[in-house]
Amino acid sequence: MNHNYQPKIVVFTCENSGWLALKHASALGLLIPERVEFIKLPCSGKVDLLYLLKALEKVDGTLVIACQKENCKFLKGNLRAEQRVNRAGKLLKEIGLEEERVRIVYLAANMEHKFAETVQNFYDKIRELGPNRGKVMK
Amino acid sequence: MIIAERKPIDEILKFLNKHQKVLVLGCGGCVTVCLAGGETETGILHSQLTMARNKEGRPLDVIEKTVERQCDFEYLAGVRHLVKEVDAVLSLACGIGIQTCAEAFPEKLVWPGVNTKFLGVNLNVGEWAERCQACGHCVLDKTGGICPVARCSKSIFNGPCGGSQGGKCEVSPDTDCAWALIYDRLSRLGEVDSLREIMPVKDWSFSRDGGPRKLVREDLELESGQ
Repeated sequence: MNHNYQPKIVVFTCENSGWLALKHASALGLLIPERVEFIKLPCSGKVDLLYLLKALEKVDGTLVIACQKENCKFLKGNLRAEQRVNRAGKLLKEIGLEEERVRIVYLAANMEHKFAETVQNFYDKIRELGPNRGKVMK
Repeated sequence: MIIAERKPIDEILKFLNKHQKVLVLGCGGCVTVCLAGGETETGILHSQLTMARNKEGRPLDVIEKTVERQCDFEYLAGVRHLVKEVDAVLSLACGIGIQTCAEAFPEKLVWPGVNTKFLGVNLNVGEWAERCQACGHCVLDKTGGICPVARCSKSIFNGPCGGSQGGKCEVSPDTDCAWALIYDRLSRLGEVDSLREIMPVKDWSFSRDGGPRKLVREDLELESGQ
């Protein structure tokens, strides 16, 4: 593993959970890796397979932060997001890329510590995997 | 509508192995509705192809475009300028669209991106079932609107056969017996007596027996279309 390697990741967050947890984490000064781009969605169910793949053309990993299961404001948005994340992983695997580069995590708006820990863990995992070999813009 | 399924990525990558620039051409018709080759699937395939070839260190330049319908030459004329720029076209339309594409662009290789499966109905999100075989001579008037040609595994008239058990077909427990469906529906409608009439042997001359079929309506034909 190249210890100087700093991956870039995109985190899609539901505005009812992940996005609020991000705000709380920032307010508390919790450490979030620098090369992470957060994208706010009205619901994690808005995340489309195409969003995940287009992001992966440019970055090393994509994380979706959704509301806890059975706690989606739109009832099944987080379950739909899970199906799309699983599908994206399979499509990556089909072309010989690591399916771990795309992941979904469920948490609530008041779980800012868990949020920071989740993002850091995912970042570390992607760092361990190394650069995304399918990335178009190096 | 026509139901299709995208080909495995390995097969598509093999088709495109020698090319450096391709047009991935989606279709806004049936394959959009059955989620096999519309604008979204064109984008997904674009991404997958780009990443797969990038990983191999042999980048593939992909142009993506979705036309209203690939089974009409008029819509294909609108992408002629894009076709000129590429080594080959990967069509995500059904078999009809792919062939129309090949006919419209005789100077280019046109590769199929989907397998065309059947004429069917959308039962649920992500679930489709065959309903018509385009046999050319519809008998739905005699069978309560349920087609024995497409939905009976043996395409028999005057069923059910001895393989019908508890409303299911012997070929697969997941398949309803078409003749059980026909009987139940006509019973509910109070029309079951109509089944006493023996249906004659099917006339397959309207189907594929006479080779590829063609329909000409002189009342609609224009001189320019000839």
